[in-house]
Amino acid sequence: MKPRIPLPDPPVTESGLANTAGMAPATSTARGKLYRAAFRMRNVDPVTTELVRIRNARFQNCNY
Amino acid sequence: MTWLEDLPEGDTDWDRLASAFPEAFAAVAQLVGAAWQDNDPVLLELARLRIATLLGNETEGSLRSVRATASGLSETKVAELAAWPTSPLFTSRERACLALTEQFVIDANGVTEAQVAEVTEHLGGAGCYAFVQGLSAMETFQRACLVLGIRTGPGVDEMIEWTARHQTTTEVAP
Repeated sequence: MKPRIPLPDPPVTESGLANTAGMAPATSTARGKLYRAAFRMRNVDPVTTELVRIRNARFQNCNY
Repeated sequence: MTWLEDLPEGDTDWDRLASAFPEAFAAVAQLVGAAWQDNDPVLLELARLRIATLLGNETEGSLRSVRATASGLSETKVAELAAWPTSPLFTSRERACLALTEQFVIDANGVTEAQVAEVTEHLGGAGCYAFVQGLSAMETFQRACLVLGIRTGPGVDEMIEWTARHQTTTEVAP
């Protein structure tokens, strides 16, 4: 998918993701913390967690 | 509140759930607070209030960001928010952001190239990216509160201040 917004140079990282470094620094850092906290939670079993993640990714048309 | 049972005691719904899941609630609070650091407070407040209306979130709709008010957002304008496409109180910059906000909440897959281009024209690439990140944070927070039955808790400004104080920690949320 072609990015819809201008990206820094280089526009793609080594891992093939859009290079958004520095574009919303506080939010990006906080989102990383939220992801890590969510994955560390053990209140929901890993299979259900993964099923929900994949279902949401498909619903959102997201490649992750 | 809430259909959740066996929660710890606390002064607010948020306090009770945050006591049970401190790391997750701290992370959510930091995400909401961080969104305000990366965005124009008036644009983000207009988006937050529009999301509240679209989701039927009366609690969020009744709150106001002091930061946005101090930056010039008036109650007159807030009262006109549902009429943003035609009301003369809204600038083209605000209209572009509100159009993207509504499409993002209703169906993110339906966001068009033109909607993104219009926001980018006003905010630049980094600004558009930050605004979408902010939208996502506001929507995530409000949907979570609605689903979990959280009706009392910290206001916007409280979360911003708390985030600024605790950005490098995982302390219990406000």
